[in-house]
Amino acid sequence: MKRTFTTLTDATLITAVVQHGFGEVITDALLEVGIQGATLHSAMGVGIRERLGAVGVAVDAERDVVSVMVSSDEVDRVFERIFLAGKMDTPGMGFMYATPLMQAATYVPPSILAKYTD
Amino acid sequence: MRFGDFIQAMSVDSQRVPFQELMPEPLFDRHGNEYPQPVPKMKLGGGEVVKILQPYLSTRFMDQARAVVPLAIYLGLFQYLVLQTPVMDASIIAGGLLAVMVGLMMFMEGLKLGLMPFGEVIGNTLPRKLPLAGVLFIAFLLGIGVTFAEPAIGALQVAGSIVDPEKAPYLFTLLNDRSGATVLLVGLGVGLAAVLGTVRFLRGWSLKPLIFISLTPTLILSVIAFMDPELTKIVGLAWDCGAVTTGPVTVPLVLALGIGVASAAGKGADSSLSGFGIVTLASVFPILGVLLLSFYTAYTVPPEVIIAKAAEIKAAAALAAAQPQWFEVTPWNEVILGVRAIVPLVIFLAIVLMLVLREKMKNAGMTYYGVFLAVAGMCIFNVGLTYGLAKLGDQSGGLIAAAFTAIDAVDASPLYSVSVGVGIAALFAWVLGLGATLAEPALNALGMTVQNLTNGAFKKSMLMGAVAFGVATGIMLGVLKLIYDFHIMYILIPGYTIGLILTLLSTEEFVNVGWDSAGVTTGPVTVPLVLAMGLGFGNALGSTEGFGILAAASICPIVAVLTLGIYVQFKVKREERRTARELARTEVPQGV
Repeated sequence: MKRTFTTLTDATLITAVVQHGFGEVITDALLEVGIQGATLHSAMGVGIRERLGAVGVAVDAERDVVSVMVSSDEVDRVFERIFLAGKMDTPGMGFMYATPLMQAATYVPPSILAKYTD
Repeated sequence: MRFGDFIQAMSVDSQRVPFQELMPEPLFDRHGNEYPQPVPKMKLGGGEVVKILQPYLSTRFMDQARAVVPLAIYLGLFQYLVLQTPVMDASIIAGGLLAVMVGLMMFMEGLKLGLMPFGEVIGNTLPRKLPLAGVLFIAFLLGIGVTFAEPAIGALQVAGSIVDPEKAPYLFTLLNDRSGATVLLVGLGVGLAAVLGTVRFLRGWSLKPLIFISLTPTLILSVIAFMDPELTKIVGLAWDCGAVTTGPVTVPLVLALGIGVASAAGKGADSSLSGFGIVTLASVFPILGVLLLSFYTAYTVPPEVIIAKAAEIKAAAALAAAQPQWFEVTPWNEVILGVRAIVPLVIFLAIVLMLVLREKMKNAGMTYYGVFLAVAGMCIFNVGLTYGLAKLGDQSGGLIAAAFTAIDAVDASPLYSVSVGVGIAALFAWVLGLGATLAEPALNALGMTVQNLTNGAFKKSMLMGAVAFGVATGIMLGVLKLIYDFHIMYILIPGYTIGLILTLLSTEEFVNVGWDSAGVTTGPVTVPLVLAMGLGFGNALGSTEGFGILAAASICPIVAVLTLGIYVQFKVKREERRTARELARTEVPQGV
């Protein structure tokens, strides 16, 4: 029997790079609206301290990178939510972007699979 | 039209700015080659600066406030409701506690930015450039240096001024005119522990024999001191010193060096336990050092000389109080203490870095800022120590006695009958210990590590509960020791005997965790508060010395954690046996 392989379409990846400690603020904000499956990892940022001068000591060069996959229909809603939760309009806080995904796959519940099998 | 595009058009008022606006213009010379340009500085408005600084300051301040504020509220409420006495000098104490929080906040940030990078660079490069003997020698010197930089060590000197020279001459001299020697010997002990701990990293020694080797002479010397009518008053102080040393400067710096050495030798990755053990050694050797110093003092100086000298010191202090020199008045005195604690350590680290390693410090500006913060924080903390923690602890310690005995400060004392009053004092001490321990951030971190090490068999909450229960019981025992005026050895000897027997029965992991758990609980807030409380309480009761509470609070969590460890071991084994039996039962029919 041939194996059926399910790929998901219309998926977008939102990535937010924020100061160390704020990653969890964002994942919590996502969980509040029922979006789970975010990935959080650590990184070091470069350059912001040099740009900010003396105030730069208050900005942590250590960064949390949060990435989460959402449906393309929901991108703006989630994007806005992360922007507000992460206070992205503050200098030195971080940045975020959304990238369209060509292909995605994960566990799909059988009830949903059934809708799409002809 | 896609549904998503429709939603976007309807819900978000979007404004588009090309990213080009954020990029600097590339600069070309007349040959068309791009040439480097400095990073453009961002111009910030006042509101934006506030926005940046606010989370930076508030998270760091809240870290300290979480440890200090509940304790202060607990002490104040207890004093007001149970002892029916309002807090005296409440505004001075509140100011002092604020200074403690601000000082600790700055000190911890300074430690992270200014001192830790030194420790890491030295730990990583030193073993490659020096033979082992040289590395160990520097570890030894570092151990001495960090002891002087430990914030809680100042509490010993503050405590020393409360001791009565007539009753305990040797205790008085060790804490007053010889306090430098005392701290130095504590430092020598920590230095020795740093050396042994580093060698242990390299050779992968078990901690068990080290515990026996270091504790046996310490206990024997304590018993000898206990027999001597004069030196018997030293024992409590000596064992308390062990708890004082393992604070926020010593542990990370010595660890950074030790782990660096071990990873340079290619031994870092294999044992997840490599971080443990140094704390234990660093709390046992100082005890030995202080005991030896007291023996030396006892054989060279008769008590009469000390009492005569104490009168001199008191007179000089009275004179100084009447006409203080500029460096003895409050801000300057603390500033000098703070500078003296940190600057030698920084100079030592800088000399090692520049002369021995010939390395340049990366991010020099950040490091200077960190060192400045550490020094300033230490100075502010010292002010807060005198006017906040020591004052509050002394006061509530002195007033608790009013629950069951008559003291001058409280008119209606004794407030309760003897049995109820003693019960209240004991319960007060127990809850204080429990709360202070659970609030300690280092304990949370230890709990996480242990849970990972044991694959979840030893839960974080279980460890935190065991340690907090142990500390609470220890502080309660220490308070009971003061009330009934029995010697601290009656707690230490049985406690350490049980501890050693349990050590023999436990596995290596639990021995490491158990013995180290005593060290994590004695932070820079708890130590001065409990020390001052014990001394104030002891003075109110007229007992000779108020030391020993911290010592009792060190051994009890060890026993508690080791006991729990053995129970967990037993449970895991039983579980394994049961699954093995069930497997055997299910496999037989399949085989047939």
